[in-house]
Amino acid sequence: MSTATEAPAAAARPATARAAGAVLVLLALVPLLVSSNVADMLTRVLAFALLAIGLDLLAGVAGLPSLGQAAPFGVGAYAAALLGKHVTTVGPVQLVAAAAAGAALAAAVGWLLVRSRGTYFLMLTLAVGEIVHELADRWEGVTGGTNGLAGVPAITLYPGGPPVRLAGVLYWYVLAAVLVCAGLLWMVSRSAFGQTLRGIRDNEERMRSLGYRTFPPKYAVFCIAGAAAGAAGSLWVAQSRFVSPADLGFEVSAMALLAVVIGGRGSLWGAALGAAVVVLVREELSPQLGGRGPLVLGLVFVAAVYLLPRGFAGMRIHRPRGEA
Amino acid sequence: MPAWLSDNLITIVDGVAFGVLLFTIAVGLSLVFGIMDVLNLAHGALYLVGAYVAVRFARGGQAGIGAFLLAGLAAVAVGAAAGAGLAVLTRPLARRGHLDQALLTLGVALIIGDLLSARFGNDVQSVPPPAFLAGSVSLVGHDYPSYRLAVIIAGLALAVLVWLLVERSRAGALVRATVADAPMVRALGVDTGRLVVAVFAFGVVLACLGGVLGAPVLGAYPGLDERVLILGLVVVVLGGLGSVSGAFLGALVIGQVEVLGVSLLPQYASFLVFGTMAVVLLLRPTGMLGRAGKPG
Amino acid sequence: MRGLARRLTTIVAAGLTVALVAGCGSSLEEDQQGAADGPVKVGLLVPKSGVYAPLGRDMENGFRMYLEAKGGKLGGRTVEVVVADEGGGPDTGVPAAQKLLQQDKVTTLVGIVNSAVALGVRDQVTDSKVPLIIANAGANAITGEQRSDYVWRTSFANGEVAGALGGYVADQVKDGKVFLAAPDYAAGKEATAGFQEAFEAAGGQVAGTELTPFGTTTNFQPYLARIQRSGAEAVYCFYAGAEAVAFVKQYQQFGLADRIPLYCSGFVTEGGVLKAQGDAALGIKGSLHYSDQLDNPTNQKFVADYSARYGDTPTVYAVQAYDAAAVLDQALAKGATGDAIVEGLKGVGEVDSPRGPWRFTDGHGPDQVYYLRETEEQGGKIVNAIVRPLTGS
Repeated sequence: MSTATEAPAAAARPATARAAGAVLVLLALVPLLVSSNVADMLTRVLAFALLAIGLDLLAGVAGLPSLGQAAPFGVGAYAAALLGKHVTTVGPVQLVAAAAAGAALAAAVGWLLVRSRGTYFLMLTLAVGEIVHELADRWEGVTGGTNGLAGVPAITLYPGGPPVRLAGVLYWYVLAAVLVCAGLLWMVSRSAFGQTLRGIRDNEERMRSLGYRTFPPKYAVFCIAGAAAGAAGSLWVAQSRFVSPADLGFEVSAMALLAVVIGGRGSLWGAALGAAVVVLVREELSPQLGGRGPLVLGLVFVAAVYLLPRGFAGMRIHRPRGEA
Repeated sequence: MPAWLSDNLITIVDGVAFGVLLFTIAVGLSLVFGIMDVLNLAHGALYLVGAYVAVRFARGGQAGIGAFLLAGLAAVAVGAAAGAGLAVLTRPLARRGHLDQALLTLGVALIIGDLLSARFGNDVQSVPPPAFLAGSVSLVGHDYPSYRLAVIIAGLALAVLVWLLVERSRAGALVRATVADAPMVRALGVDTGRLVVAVFAFGVVLACLGGVLGAPVLGAYPGLDERVLILGLVVVVLGGLGSVSGAFLGALVIGQVEVLGVSLLPQYASFLVFGTMAVVLLLRPTGMLGRAGKPG
Repeated sequence: MRGLARRLTTIVAAGLTVALVAGCGSSLEEDQQGAADGPVKVGLLVPKSGVYAPLGRDMENGFRMYLEAKGGKLGGRTVEVVVADEGGGPDTGVPAAQKLLQQDKVTTLVGIVNSAVALGVRDQVTDSKVPLIIANAGANAITGEQRSDYVWRTSFANGEVAGALGGYVADQVKDGKVFLAAPDYAAGKEATAGFQEAFEAAGGQVAGTELTPFGTTTNFQPYLARIQRSGAEAVYCFYAGAEAVAFVKQYQQFGLADRIPLYCSGFVTEGGVLKAQGDAALGIKGSLHYSDQLDNPTNQKFVADYSARYGDTPTVYAVQAYDAAAVLDQALAKGATGDAIVEGLKGVGEVDSPRGPWRFTDGHGPDQVYYLRETEEQGGKIVNAIVRPLTGS
């Protein structure tokens, strides 16, 4: 964000705040207004939105586009599922554990990966995603193999509490969790650290010549995005109560990146909107199209890429072309 | 010859055949990336178009070499049209960065894949090789399909042709100059816009020809496009983005990994391709022959 | 920024309005799968896109053919079929099933090719008391440790199809060893395990097992070379789709077809893949619970009707779905609620099917005859001829 737009932005902040408030109220009222089926779908949208927002921080703000976010997402989902089946059904505990699992995976591979840039980084994240997918397929004892893990019990909201069975209540839990996590990500984006990330995105060489070490911030944001993805995975399992290696697949990573691009990179809230579009097309529209689902999805991709909302600085994989 | 070698000679030869096939698949991707810095994620779908062209022409048992040549010509025509179209589609996005262009091509890939599925059905289609190549020859006491030997020859011929075009022809010199310094080339009065479209079209033509060449080996079916794309990406990245000789080297490496590697380490077979790529990239971050200053 | 905020609010409000209109009600109440007046809604969940789409097409054909022969009614009640695309796996299949259950509120769910999808929806159908009649997914657990009152299957179990062949192959190879090959995923492992158990119980010895990377193997040369080096007398394999085509073709190209007999679970030579394999498929012996060559009267009529209607001979997948409609026909006569249908299914006796008569076991799967089939050329076409039944029933 450049200083030239600071003044009008400051004046418009109350309007933005009002708009955001209105949206939050609408989101909170959803369970009272819609059927279980719709609430379930919106729950899935929210979980996927958290994945997309985390990826937006990584790709849009820090300029590190990743095709491997399904890996920490899936790891978080499996962590939550395994905890739910064997240890505890308390939702918030699963959430924290899943975020930790996602962050751990990101930490393990990130310190090697973030040394690369641009398309090489993209391909390495793809490689990590595919390798983790293979491991989930093969490690039957833990993951249930290709048949997946079924029978994940419904979550409880606190130790000893009743299992959450109503779609509306689950929606509220997921909404609260997503708002908290997304809020944290937003604060990261708005902080000085976020500014450093944008600086690295726009011109890493210049940042280095100004004395910044670029590796620690890149590594840190990679782990943060991993944590967000893991948390999203636990919320996803809370709704679907089933996880399989397909949740770690390339499609999930690609859909997440698409959600980020549709929404306009760097804005975080845009990624949530993109996530809604992607989930709706894939899950609501596709089953009814008699097999032409991929065609519609492809058309949505193409249309979205052409019709991106204007006003967002284009993300650059490497050197910008002189834009401020 | 030592026992290990005679046991594995067929496997090594097959690795070369597979590698050469991978090169024909990947070279177009490498060229397009080299000139435009765009990862054409529709490359696999365009390969599949070529494969279905072969299905269309070589259907029904014993097709002769003539049917294959016809299929090749058709593939060139379709590829040129598709490539030019794709180039035109991605041009307006050049200002918005390479991720946008890559995702656009991914959308196009989905569309092409589904259209192929609607037109040709979802069954696995098999393409018999030209009649005189349909059998097997005996190599060190083992049977080996003659068509795969033909693939080695055809693929190497293609590699030489591409090398000549890129390194030794005037058009190739213009392309290399554009990659290095486009404004200067424009200052010399060359329309770099049309040049880029031409290179893109050429890259897609190579993808379609790869589809015709590979059809008797890999067949044609929904889902093959994704598999081919991933292998092509790995080969190109492994060899170094934008480097055609890198793509050749990368293709031979992956060809051996997929065949000899699987033979020696069967329990790790599913991890070998990506594992190799990851290891190479970690040792040489821009690939084997990638240009060090080009982050990609 | 103001315009942006306004745009955001409009978009979200529009989206929520659509959701509201689409699904009015309260998600804070328990869901009811009511038995409404009017047609009975049957959800048909089959792949219409992706690698399993050919199976989905056959299944839908089989189901609809039975339904239309009965004038659009099952159990005397008019049936409305709602089709949803299972796609290539549980990431598309499970949400599609959820949509059928919660949005379309189907009374019964039929279909499912992929075992992961079947296992993924098991809890949901059990909780919502909606019977699920699986017309393909072969995971052993579905009628084994994951069985449920509401889950029924008219198709097969991976281990059983393979196990049927074990005794026969042991007879054929006598002292020789057999090499096992299958893709590395649940179905492949269950198939090789099922074969190995029956084969070793009959005194056989396994030379080695090769589980090839699932869905990504296009070149089987290294595995075929290993088979040759092992000195095996025969090979048992299980593959489907493109891998079945590639394996069989390369088995011939690399010279094994003439020297090492190939046995398989019949899916390897069933349906569209048989056409793609061409004469590389000749002489393969396999076990399966159906072939269009079966000469019982029910099948002869079935094949004639199916070919006339769809222009192609039926496959095992079509028969499985046809039989699902048949058992649903019997069950719906008892009642149109989920529990009534389950009672009806429990009461289904012997099913007179094109594959021969069969009945449900306690695990709700089919207790059926498996046939030894051999691919041979008849009248210019390659077909799966029946040699003899492998198991009594």
